[in-house]
Parts: sequence; structure tokens; C-alpha cells
Amino acid sequence: MAEEKEKSIEKIVEAPPEIGRFGQFLKEHGIASEKLPDAAGGIEVISLDAKNLQSALKILRSSEETKLDLLITVSGVDSRQSGGTFDSVYHLWSYDNLNELVIKVKIKADEVEEDSLPAVPSITNMWPAANWHERETYDLVGIKYLGHPYPRRILNPWDWDGHPLRHDYVQIVDALNDKNPHSFR
Amino acid sequence: MSTEIKSTELKTDEMIINMGPQHPATHGVLRMLLTLDGEFVKHAEPVIGHLHRAQEWQGQNRTWFQYQALIDRVDYLSGMFTSWAMARSCEVLDECEVPERAEYLRVMVSEMNRISSHLLWLGTYLIDLGAMFGFPFYPFREREKLLDLFEEIAGQRMMFNYIRIGGVQRAPNDAWLKRLKAFTEEFEDRVDEYEAIVTENPIFLKRTKEIGILPLSLAKQYGVTGPSIRASGTDMDLRKTKPYSVYPKLEFDVHWLDKPEGGDTWDRYILRIREMRESNKIIKQCLDMLPTEGELSGKKQNAGLRVKAGEAFSSVESPRGILGCYVISDGKDKAIRFRWRNPSFCNLSVLSELLVGSPIADIMAIFGSVDVILPDVDR
Amino acid sequence: MNAAEIYKLSRLAIFWLSVTFGAVWVACWGVGVFIPSLITGKMPFLLQVDNPSTTVVFIADLLRSLTPILSLLVFIPINAMFMVLFERRSLALFTVRMGPNRHGFDGLAQTAADAVKLLFKEDITPRGADAFMFTLAPIIFFAPSIFGALPLLAAVTNNHDLFKVANLPTGIFYILAAASIPVVALVMAGWASNNKYSLVGGLRSAAQAISYEIPLVLSLVTMCLLAGTLDVVEIVEQQKGGILNWNILGGGALSGYDKLAPYWLNLVDTSFDTSAMFGQFYPVPWLSSIMAFVLVICTVLLFGLYLTGACAEINRIPFDLPEAESELVSGYNTEYSGIKFAIFFLAEFTNLFVVSSIATVMFLGGGDNPIPKWILDRLPLEPISNALGSLLSPLIKDLMFIDPATFWAAFWVIVKVYSIVFFAILVRGTLPRFRIDQLMDFGWKRLIPLALILFVVVVFARTWVVCHG
Repeated sequence: MAEEKEKSIEKIVEAPPEIGRFGQFLKEHGIASEKLPDAAGGIEVISLDAKNLQSALKILRSSEETKLDLLITVSGVDSRQSGGTFDSVYHLWSYDNLNELVIKVKIKADEVEEDSLPAVPSITNMWPAANWHERETYDLVGIKYLGHPYPRRILNPWDWDGHPLRHDYVQIVDALNDKNPHSFR
Repeated sequence: MSTEIKSTELKTDEMIINMGPQHPATHGVLRMLLTLDGEFVKHAEPVIGHLHRAQEWQGQNRTWFQYQALIDRVDYLSGMFTSWAMARSCEVLDECEVPERAEYLRVMVSEMNRISSHLLWLGTYLIDLGAMFGFPFYPFREREKLLDLFEEIAGQRMMFNYIRIGGVQRAPNDAWLKRLKAFTEEFEDRVDEYEAIVTENPIFLKRTKEIGILPLSLAKQYGVTGPSIRASGTDMDLRKTKPYSVYPKLEFDVHWLDKPEGGDTWDRYILRIREMRESNKIIKQCLDMLPTEGELSGKKQNAGLRVKAGEAFSSVESPRGILGCYVISDGKDKAIRFRWRNPSFCNLSVLSELLVGSPIADIMAIFGSVDVILPDVDR
Repeated sequence: MNAAEIYKLSRLAIFWLSVTFGAVWVACWGVGVFIPSLITGKMPFLLQVDNPSTTVVFIADLLRSLTPILSLLVFIPINAMFMVLFERRSLALFTVRMGPNRHGFDGLAQTAADAVKLLFKEDITPRGADAFMFTLAPIIFFAPSIFGALPLLAAVTNNHDLFKVANLPTGIFYILAAASIPVVALVMAGWASNNKYSLVGGLRSAAQAISYEIPLVLSLVTMCLLAGTLDVVEIVEQQKGGILNWNILGGGALSGYDKLAPYWLNLVDTSFDTSAMFGQFYPVPWLSSIMAFVLVICTVLLFGLYLTGACAEINRIPFDLPEAESELVSGYNTEYSGIKFAIFFLAEFTNLFVVSSIATVMFLGGGDNPIPKWILDRLPLEPISNALGSLLSPLIKDLMFIDPATFWAAFWVIVKVYSIVFFAILVRGTLPRFRIDQLMDFGWKRLIPLALILFVVVVFARTWVVCHG
């Protein structure tokens, strides 16, 4: 069983050396990116540093060549088991052409301090659409978006404990129960 | 004597109203926090989450086979599309071939589902406009026929679980196809009937024209998709722009309005009406082209269902917009992550911009025209 | 198309109407005729008393004077029950549904069951509500409909002795005054509920009532101008003699044609010189004819104006903004439950009935037979009425149970009033709701100017034509 697990993890992590179309585009504009294995269907996946996220998205969105102006989702993935990171994943499409790109910002779980959340810059200032997606990711996966205008839980009640989509999440006390010390209900 | 004239503007207090979650017209359990100045909205904030059922959590804690039965509940008015989005993601990931017959059946039932969803929207939208009785029940008459057909082919009227990873659940019999054909033949007349009553009704025009204008740039910023953005000046319809399944083989038009300054609620209404007609055309073609013999599923449907490791994002054009499903699998019995991209979720977030400045009475007219389904928002 | 459902609806209507009016008839007869006659010894075939004591006479008079109010108190709840059921079943018919068809035979007892349920429900006063006002509001909402209906009683019963309770010379103004009180109750209810939706609903109803009362009153004022009187009984008297005399067709502008038609149609002695009579009604022949035509158009428009204003006055679709369900939950009655809600509900339907009755009295000739008298005279009705008379003579003469004149007046009033009610239901089943600003626009910029123009036109036109007044 353990062997199998390692094997499958290897398969995900294994990165081809060549650089993709969007990676090349970003490189030309002076932004370093790392190519990750393509998503199924041959869609390019790149990894960016958190500090480069804003500038990269700005250029990808406004450039006539790429024009990735449709933010499909912002998702959080707890991949501590496979890569030891929290990923903030951005699916970008274009309204006018067929470009597709997946950007991942990986935050190493080791570098996150005890009792604090992994932090990624918010892109709500560029895409209002990201507002709710980021709130949801904060709520369910526990990734903090720095500079978000309204960083609150969105789907769970405001007094919920923990982030349910993390793989180590355990619901300690039923939050709808009166016994929950944080609940006013 | 001072000639200065003081401002005599009457100062009134603003009123904060909680519209919902228990309100007859919020299509489920949406809560809108409205700041009103008289009857006019100064600030609107949708508060969601009352219907949160942890669908994504279920996705990573249920087996593939179990989960595909659950996802119809994500958007209960267009369950075929949620199933299909998940099935497509898993099939892309799994590199599994879907038999052609199954693809035709998928297109057929999905377009039926699109019609039934739009019909329900039409009825409830008129209720939102205050036509409490009378017309709203006519679309339900046709929807009932579709639901009967669904019941016969999938065993369920709303939570179909018909489209499975790799194919579809079962094949229709001849009697079913005949009934569907009869439906498609009379449906065009029915739509004419609705249009005769509604489209040019002076009160309806007064209530829907020039309100809830959604400019193209705003819609793009908020990631609005589906008929709502097609009314604002793009022709983005995944069935044409990124064709999937057997859509390239079918003849149909994507209706859109070239109005970059923004479509109003009436435009969104008329686009949905036209979409129903197009869907009807598609069903007719599918009925002619459907192979009578052939496999139904490229994958075994049992509890041992597995999907290869990797990640995939696939989407379909649901009645409300782009419905996407992001799957990360490690090849085991459960997924690592299921992430839904729900059209209603994105379309709803634009509401706080659309509502500002409109009177209370228009809130429901605008909200209804965006066509939001709350379970789809809250998951 | 849907013959079975239409048949069921008519069956239901006939059954409930018989129940409603049978009950009222029996109650009125019992209290107003039978008991007084019995105790004063005036009953034809029962024991005769020659000189009843003053106490007995006093009691008999008291009972007689109580009849009108008793009739209303019996009538209103049963009638509201019927109207609710009628509305629901008619809407079901229009909207390809079944409607309530379980309680009682084919759903006949549905609203009775609903009423019982409402009476037994808990009566909740919300926290923070003004309890006194909260309780007072439904009462004030309901009471004026009784006040308003009282003077109409005589008008719709062919001026029957028992119902001559308040034949005020200013009858129609009194009725209108009574009909405008409920708005106060709506504002009270909205304010006292301590609920923002209710408050908005209450204020909307005030704004709406003020705007739409003007065209409503203007249309009735114009009709009074044509009639030359404010007394509803007199207005009904003027309109007697068939549809051509009704106020909706020119307020008597066609009376001359009605009188002359039998001569022109060679139904009676043709040697009669009609020109003198024609000149009597239409002084300047060609101009008068045009003006009569203008008057007919004006009065038909006024009727429409009245119906529109009345719909707004009683908050029915398309003017039901104070209780707009998709916006304000239920408006002013959001917080009401149990018997208070039942009273609101009752009053709403009673108001619908009252405004329809006003329309009947002012425009449709009250209890008048629509068939012109000269046609009626030629129909072989006499043998039938004689046969019926002899058949029912015990009821008519001995028990004084049926008064034919009143019976037919009541019959036609019922037919006319429920036609208008049915029209209101049809409108409800068809139209969406206005928005509040569009409602105001429509009221102030369309209806009020139209009403004023019609008023002026009628004033000029009636100088050339001899009308009722």
C-alpha cells in the first residue's frame, strides 16, 4: 500500500523540463514561473511565487496575446500529503479566445507558523469575481488572502471552528450545538 | 442680511432590511442585507450559506461511485448538467472513451433539462413580477411532461443520477422516444403561446425594460456566464466556443445580443426563450441521429469505480452558465479534491452592483432575471 | 376546452350563492317579518291579535330595525367564504390546475375549513408591537365595509321597507367616505406591527389610496352630475326599464331611443308622431344624437375608470403593492395571524363585494332587469309568473316569505355584482403587478387627467341631451 502511494505521488510531482507557452510569455516579461505537469486534456499548469502573482495576472489579463480575462475559480487545495504545500489554484480562461491556464501558488506547510494560516495575496482588486471565491477558500481550506476587503467566512456560520476541507479536519464540537463555547445560539 | 441659502434638503434615515432567508421570493434561502433610502436600495449585500451541504467535503469523503449519485443535488433544477460536468472531468482524467450513443443520450437529456430549467425560471420569474396566478402555471404544464419523461428514463424526477462516469445509466425505449418526439413537436407552439402572453405585455415591458442593466465590462469582471452575459454582448457558449460531446455534429444557433452597454432584464428573458427553442431543435436532431444499437457506458458502474491519478477541470454549458468541476485524484477510491465552479455562485456576486439604485420592487425583477439557484450557490 | 371544470365551477357558484342568499333571506324574513308579525298578531293565517300592547309593538319595531344590520352580519362571513372559494377555483380554471377539491363535496367546504382553522390558530402579537393599535387595525379595516354597505341595501332591494335604514340624500358620498377609512387601518397595521415590511406596505397603501381615490371619486361625481342626485336609491330608480336606461350607456342619454324604439320597430301603433317625443329628449336632433353618442363613450370610459380606481382602492392585482408578495412578504398583514388575519381577509373580500355593488348601483342599474321593457312586454312571461304566483302563493301571501319585486331585484344584483367580481378575478389571473412609481405615474398622469377631461366633456354634452337628472 505504502509503495503504491509513493508511486502515485511521484507521478503527480514529476515535472517535465520544457517550458510552456504561458511560461515563456511570462519569462519574456520578466516573471519567473515553474512548469508543473499538464492537467488532463493538455492544459498548461504553472506555479508562481506568491509575490509574483499580482503582476503576472495583471499582464496575463491585459495582454492582447493572452487575454485571460475570465477568472473561472480560485480554489484551495490541501496537498500536504502529496507535496507538503497548500495550493491556491487559479483557473483562467478567456472570454474571446480559447486560452486556458492554471496557476498554482504553493505555500509550504512547514513555513506556516503554528496557529496561523498560509497567506496568499488577494486578487480581489483586479477581479471582483475573486472576492467570493477567496472567501470560500478561506472558509473551507483555510488559506488567508492578504488585502481582501472582507475576509470572513461565507458558507459556514461565522462562529465555525476549523476549515472542513483540510484533510486533518475533525469536527470537535457540533457547531450548531449549544455546547459549543463560541456559539451564541 | 445674509444672502446665503441653506440647503433645505430633507434628511431622512436609512433603513436596513433583511430580505430573506425566509422570504417568499428569494428562490430558496438567500438573505439580502439591504440598506434602503426610502424605497431605493443604497447598498445590497447577498449573504449566502444557508443551504450549505458540504458537497465538496462529501466529494473527498465518499467514493467516486457514491459521490456521483449525490451531485445532482448541487443544482437541483439542472441535475443532468452537474452529473455531466463531473463525468466529463473524470473521463478526461481517466482517458476513457464515451460511446457515441451515450453522448447523444447525454445531449438529449441535458437539453431537455435545459428546457425544464428555463420553464421553471419563466414561471417563477413572472411570480417575482407579481403575476401571482394565471400565466406562471402554464410553463409548469410543459415542465410536468418533461419530468414525467425523466422519471421514466432515470427513475427520478429531479435527482436523476442518469449521466454516469463513462456513459449513461440506461437506454430509452421506443415509447419514450415517441413521447419525446410528440413533446418536441408541440413545444414550439407552446413557446409561441408564452410569448403571445408575456413578451409584449405592457406591464411586463414596463417592469423589465431599462432595469438591471449589466454592462459587459462589469459582467466580465465578475465572471458572469450563461444567458446573462450573452444578453450583454458576447457570444460565449461552450457548446460552440469549446465544443464538447456531439455538439459539433448538431445544428443550432447561439443567441446573443450585441449590447456592450449592457443588457436589461428583458434581454435576459428573451434570450432564455430563444434558448428553449434552440434546445428543442437540438432534441429533434438527436432523436433522428440517435444510434439504436451500441454501448451505453465505457466504464463499469460498480463500487469499484476508480479514476486515474492527476487533475482535470472540465465544464459544460448549464442553463445558468459555465458549470465546471475541478478534480484531483490520486487513483484511489476517493478524490483528493472536488471543486465546483457554479454559475450561480459567480452570477450572484454581481448582484450587489446591479441592485444599487433600484427600488425594492425591482430587486426581485433583477434577481430573478439573473436566474440564480441557491443550492447551486451554497452547495 | 375545459367543460367539466367550468361545469364544476358553476355548480359550486350556484350552490354557494343559494346557501349565502338563502341564509340571509331566511334571517331577514324571520327577524324582520315573521316574528314581528307573529307577536303583533298580523300573520294572515295564524292567531290574530287585535290590539297588541305597546311593549310588543316596540319589540316588533326593534326587531324590524335590526334587520338590515343582521342581514349584513349574516351575509358578510358566508359571502366571503364563497368568494374565496370562487376565486381559488376560478384561478385554478384559468391556470390549468385543479384548485381545492377535497373538503366537502368537490371542495365546497374548503373555505369553511380554512375559517375554522384560522379561528383556532394562536393569536400572536409580535414583540415590540403596539398591542392596542395592532388589535384595533383589523377592526377599523372591517367596520367601514359594513357602514358603507348599509345605505346600499335599500338600493339593491328595490327600496324595500325593511332596508330603508339610511337613505341619506348624500348617499354616495357617505359610502365613499366610509370606503376611504380602511386606509387608516392599513397604515395603523403597518405601523403597529413593528416590522419594516409591514411599515413599507402600510405607507404604500396610503400613497396608493390617496392617488387612486381621486379618479375613483371623480368618476362617481360625474355620474352623480348626470343623475342630478346623490341619493343611491333615486339613482337606481332613474335607471329602471332596461339596459338602455342604465348609467353605463350615457346616463340616460339613450332613454329617448328606448322610449321610441317600439314605435320605430312597428311594435305598437305606428300612427303615433314620434318627432315631438324625439325633440323632447333630443332638442337639436343631429347635435343631440352626436352628443348622446359622446356621452355613451364617456360613461363607458368612466366605468373603466371606476373599476381601475376600485381595484387600486381595495389592493387587488395589478395594484396590490401594499401586500406585494414578492417584495414585501405580505405587506401590512405580515405579522397577523389567527382571527385578526381572518378579519383582514374577510374585510378584503367584503370590500371587493362592496365596490362591485357600488359599480352595480351607479352604472349597471342596480336590481334592474337588463331587457328593455318593450321587449319584456312582448315576451309570454305573464302566464309563467301567474303560475308561479299561484304555486308559491302560500309563501308569498300567507307567510310573506317572498316578495317578488325584491326577489328579482336581488337576483339581478347578484348576477351583476358577481360578474364584476369574476372580472376582477380574471384580471388577477392575467396581469403582473405594477411598480410603485409606475403606479403613481399611471394614477396622476393618466387617470386623473382623463377623469377631469371626461368630467368637462360630460358637463358640455349633457346640455344637449335630456339625461336622467
